[in-house]
Amino acid sequence: MADAGKISKQPQSKTFQCKNLHDYLKTLPASTLDKLYNHPTTCLAVYRELPEIGRHYVIRILFVEQPVPQAVVASWLAQEHSKEHNEVIKVLSELRVWQEAAIPGGLPGWILNPIFKKNCRMALLGGGRANCIQSQLDADSKPRDIPFLDQYATERWECVLHYMVGSQQQEGISADAVRLLLHAKLMKRDEEDNSPIITREGFQFLLMDTAQQVWHFILQYLHYTVQEHNLDLVECLTFLFQLSFSTLGKDYSTQGMSEAMLKFLQHLREFGLVYQRKRKGGRFYPTRLALNIAAGQTSAPGDIERVGYIVVETNYRVYAYTDSNLQVALVALFCEMMYRFPNLAVGILTRDSIRQALRSGITAEQMINFLRLHAHPRMVAQGPPTLPPTVVDQIKLWENERDRFNFSEGVLYSQFLSQQDFQVLRDHAQGLGVLIWQNERQRTMVVTKGGHDDVKKFWKRYNRGND
Amino acid sequence: MHLIFTEVETSLLVIAVDLHSRQRYLREHPSQLMHVLDSVVTLANMHLMLKTKNKVAIVGCNAARSDFIFCDTDAIQPQPGQSGQSGLARQSDGQYELFAHLETSVKQNIKKFSVDENSSFFDDKDGESLIAGALTMALCYINRMNREKATGEKLNSRLLIVTGCSGGASQHMAYMNVFFTAQKLNIVLDVCSLDYELGLLQQGCDITGGLFLKIPQLQGLLQYLLWVFLPEPPIRKKLVLPPPAKVDYRAACFCHRNLIDIGFVCSICLSIFCKFSPICTTCNTVFKPPGSLLSKKKKKANKNVC
Repeated sequence: MADAGKISKQPQSKTFQCKNLHDYLKTLPASTLDKLYNHPTTCLAVYRELPEIGRHYVIRILFVEQPVPQAVVASWLAQEHSKEHNEVIKVLSELRVWQEAAIPGGLPGWILNPIFKKNCRMALLGGGRANCIQSQLDADSKPRDIPFLDQYATERWECVLHYMVGSQQQEGISADAVRLLLHAKLMKRDEEDNSPIITREGFQFLLMDTAQQVWHFILQYLHYTVQEHNLDLVECLTFLFQLSFSTLGKDYSTQGMSEAMLKFLQHLREFGLVYQRKRKGGRFYPTRLALNIAAGQTSAPGDIERVGYIVVETNYRVYAYTDSNLQVALVALFCEMMYRFPNLAVGILTRDSIRQALRSGITAEQMINFLRLHAHPRMVAQGPPTLPPTVVDQIKLWENERDRFNFSEGVLYSQFLSQQDFQVLRDHAQGLGVLIWQNERQRTMVVTKGGHDDVKKFWKRYNRGND
Repeated sequence: MHLIFTEVETSLLVIAVDLHSRQRYLREHPSQLMHVLDSVVTLANMHLMLKTKNKVAIVGCNAARSDFIFCDTDAIQPQPGQSGQSGLARQSDGQYELFAHLETSVKQNIKKFSVDENSSFFDDKDGESLIAGALTMALCYINRMNREKATGEKLNSRLLIVTGCSGGASQHMAYMNVFFTAQKLNIVLDVCSLDYELGLLQQGCDITGGLFLKIPQLQGLLQYLLWVFLPEPPIRKKLVLPPPAKVDYRAACFCHRNLIDIGFVCSICLSIFCKFSPICTTCNTVFKPPGSLLSKKKKKANKNVC
C-alpha cells in the first residue's frame, strides 16, 4: 500500500526585487566600502539610509574618540525596544559604520569606523579637500533654470519608458541603453524577429515611481556597464552620491574629471540625470533624477511626477487627465481604455483587464500603488483614503481569485484494510503535524513529503507488531 | 520592493536663540557666544542631515528685537543670469553645500544683532530678552509653512529655545499665549537653559509635551543638544532621556513679578495681583474698593492658576 500520488507544486509568481541602498551596499566587499567612505557625500548618503535609531546612535558617538562600551549603548534605548536595538546593531556592523573594539578592562565596545567618522564630520563641519565635482567659477552665458531641467529630465526618462512600452516613438535611445534594458531583464529578445520585447519584470518596473526606477536602473548599470566599459565602481558610486548632494539649478564643472568619469557622465546624460548643452561644454547641471538617487525609496523630495492625473471613481471608471502617450499606455496596462480625448483618456477597470495584468506579472498591490501615487490632487485632497475602498478591495479580490488553490507536495496513503489501521496511522501523522488531508470514509490520507519517511517507518513497525 | 505607501513627512525645527549680551555667561566670557552659535548651527545641520526633507529655521532675539537668522527664504536658490555671483559662495572644502550655506547665512545675519547693541535706538540694555516675541514669530512661520505645504504632505513642527536669561516674568502673558497656541497646534516646545531653572518655560514644556533641560556645563552644550533635543518626539519615547522635573505652576503677579499662591484676579481679564489695586493695570477696569470684609470677599478670589 502507501502508493505515492504526488501533487506537484506550482512555482509562485516571483515579485520583482528592487534592492534599496542598504541591501546593495551590504553586497559590496569590505574594502570597497572603506574606499567609498573616503568621501563625505557617500557617508551622508549611507547615514541617511540607516534606521532612525541608528542615526541617533551614530550622532551620539560621532564626537567621542574612544570606544563606547556595548552595555552603555544598549542602555540608550528603553528596555522594551531591545529587539529594535539588536536590529540597529546588525545594520551598523554590516555596513561597517562601526566596529567592535575592546575597552581597557576587557569590556566589549563599539567604535565608529575612523574613515566614516572623519568624513561624516567633514560633511557636517567642513574642512578637507573639495569634492571632485567642482562648481563652475565663471557664469554660464546661457544658464538653465529649474523648470527647464525638470522638463529635460522628464523627457529623457520618458523616452526610455516609451521605448519599453513599445510606443511608436523609438528614436533617441542608444544601443547602450537597449543593451542595458536587456541585461536588466526588463526586456528580452523576441524569439522570432529578435526585437526587444518587454518582460514580466519590465511591466512591474513601469509601475514603480520614478525614483525607484532610476535607482533600479542605476544598480543594473553599475552591475553591468562598469565592467564592460572598465569604469571603477567606487569612482562611479562616489560621483553618483556627489551628484545627489549637489544643488538643483547650479552648474558644475567637468574640470579635473578623469576620462572614464567623462564617459560615465555621458551615460548619465543620456538617461536625463544630468544636463549638458554641449558634450565638450565643460559644464553640466544635475537634474532632479540625480538628486533623488540617495534619497532612495524612502522619500522622494520634489518628485517630478508630483502632479497626479488619475481619477478613480467608485463605478470603476478611471479618468486619466493627460496627453502623454506613455501615461495612457501605463494606465492601459490594467485598464480597458474606452475613449481618448485631447487631454483626457477614460478607461474602466474590469475583471478581465485586471486578470490580464495579473497574468503578465503585475501584482494587485503594484496597481493600487500606481493609482495612488498618480492620483489627481483633487482625490488626494478628498482623502484619505485616496482611492475608493471598494475598488481597492475588488482589485485585491480579483488577485486572490487566482490563488484559490494552495499547492503542497504530499504522499497519498490509501487502501487501508481496516478502519482501525487507518485511525492509528492518521492519529500518528496528526501527532507529528504532517497530516495534510484525510477522509475517514474512504480511508485515505495525505501526509507531507517530509513526514512521509517517519510515517512509513511507523507503519512498518506497527504492522510488524500486529503480525 | 517597497510598496507600502507612506505619507511624506517633513519635520520642521525652529530654534530660538537668545543673543542678549547681558546673559550671565556672556558677561563673564563674551567669546562663549561663538561656542553657543556653533553648537546651534551644528544641531541645525544635524537635523537637516537626518532626513532629506527636514527643514530648519533659526530666530534670534535680544532686548530690542527678534528676527529670523535663517529661514527658507535664505535657502539655496541660485538666480539664473547671475549664477556664480549669486549669494551662494562656491564650495571650497568637503562640507555639504547646504550645511555650508546655513553656516554662512547665520554668520551674515547675526551681524544685525550686534549692530543693535551699539545703536542709540537700543537704550534699554538691561531689559529682558524678547524670547516670547521670537516664539510668536516662530509660530507664525510654522503656520505659514503649514499652509504652503503640498497636499498629502505632513509637517511635524517643534520649537527649541536656547537661552541663558533668568526671568521672563514681564512677558508672562505673551508666554502663556505662545504655550497654549503651541499646544493647540501640536507643536512641541523644548527649552535648553544655559544658566537658570526657568519656572515659566518649564510650564511651557510641560503643557506642550516638550523637554526642559538646564545643562550642567556650557562646554558640553553640543552633546546635550544632540542627545536630548535632536530626536523627534516619537523617537524620544524609545530613548532613555532625563526624566521631566517637577514643574512649579505658580503664577507671577503682574504688579511685582512675584510668584504667588494666593492673590487677586481681575474679573475681566484674569490678570493676577499680589496686592489689591483699584484699577486693573492690564485692562483699566475700575474696581470698588474693598469696604467691609464681606464685600471684600466678592472681589477677592482664591487663585489657583492651573
